[in-house]
Amino acid sequence: MAEHIMEKTACTETTPATSEHQAGRREFARKIITAAGILSALPLLAVPRAAEAWMDGNFHEREDLADAFKVLVKTYSDTVPYPHKFNDALVKAQLSDIDFIVGKGLHKEFAQHYVDTLGVLINKYIKSGVESFGKDIFLWGIFERTSCSYQLYEYITIADGKRSFPCPFKPILDQVQKGMGTYRITWDDVHTKWCGLMWNGFAEVAGVQIKIEPGETCTVRVI
Amino acid sequence: MSRLTRRDFGKNGLMLSCLTALGLPRGAHAAPAGNFLDKVKNDPFLNRDDIEHAIKSYYQTYNCTTPYHHKFNETITKWHLRSLQFCIDRKIEKDHVDHYVAIMVPILKRVKSRVETKGPDAALHGMFEGTTCSYQLFERIEVKPGERSFPCPYNYLLQQCKKYLGTFTINWEDVCSKWCIPVWNGFAKEIGVSISVAPGETCSVKLKA
Repeated sequence: MAEHIMEKTACTETTPATSEHQAGRREFARKIITAAGILSALPLLAVPRAAEAWMDGNFHEREDLADAFKVLVKTYSDTVPYPHKFNDALVKAQLSDIDFIVGKGLHKEFAQHYVDTLGVLINKYIKSGVESFGKDIFLWGIFERTSCSYQLYEYITIADGKRSFPCPFKPILDQVQKGMGTYRITWDDVHTKWCGLMWNGFAEVAGVQIKIEPGETCTVRVI
Repeated sequence: MSRLTRRDFGKNGLMLSCLTALGLPRGAHAAPAGNFLDKVKNDPFLNRDDIEHAIKSYYQTYNCTTPYHHKFNETITKWHLRSLQFCIDRKIEKDHVDHYVAIMVPILKRVKSRVETKGPDAALHGMFEGTTCSYQLFERIEVKPGERSFPCPYNYLLQQCKKYLGTFTINWEDVCSKWCIPVWNGFAKEIGVSISVAPGETCSVKLKA
């Protein structure tokens, strides 16, 4: 989730950048300062830094790609009883825990805990980003910007003020119910007692309002 | 020098074509006769049409290298850590483990029946390299008879979460003693085997004799 923003911001501050890069950042910062005033703009400088640090272009230097590729091949070769995807274990872990938490009647506390764990960063970076660059930054921060989403959703369709993605939970919940029959939650529980609570919690921290349209393709809009 | 007659030439040619034909299946990894012709057609990986999404997700993940290298198991590892933190805070971590083992019982029963026909190593196969829940969590799994070992995914990421989020109070020992070990022991009990766990940066799980 948005913890990457803090992580990458911290790194960017100490990572030498090219002169071209520095010039671009300086230009960007100057625009912000001109628009918002020196004092109010200072906290906002973290957002462009975070944005620049994201997808830092070192993919080709990684030495651990082989293990990841082997897992990918193993996963996508696993087609019985259903075609497995890269998010299979993550979705099952989430469904299992949601089943446990809903059974305990602690789903509100569980979603709030998740929001609290990450809310510090949303408050520090995304909230100021929304104030400066608009509400779409909120969706950027909780969807395509974070591994918590791009490792969960098979793909995310990006439109201004709106993100949509195939629900990862329904197909796997259907499969586990068919194959095991040990889950008590329904798909509706996943929307109402997990996704909706969590996204609305983040939105509250960031000071925006959202509208969620659950479905096989789920859509989240900023109002 | 002997002359090659037309009859000799035909005989040699027939022998060569027989030898060539016999060599082919071996070249195709001794597949049953005829199967090697359909290897591409029948390969499950090659028949998937949704791999591009996985490749893109992996690219995004492995293109994040600051301040630490993100891996494919980043989110699932964080999820487990976050859930464990929540459960320990409310002292329900034992119930959490019991629930996880209980929902897995139908699968563990299938593993148990494989153990009865194939031997106890099938228990470790069913708990580790045979399930997405493990091979998508552990970066690699070393398979030896009666033993599986793998790099712990939790320790390093827990340190990163503590450093950059500051909202985690659990420690690595909690992860071993309140999640991994009780879950694996719970699985082993359902399957009907006994195991020993040696936690560490490389964690090892062995069948007890």
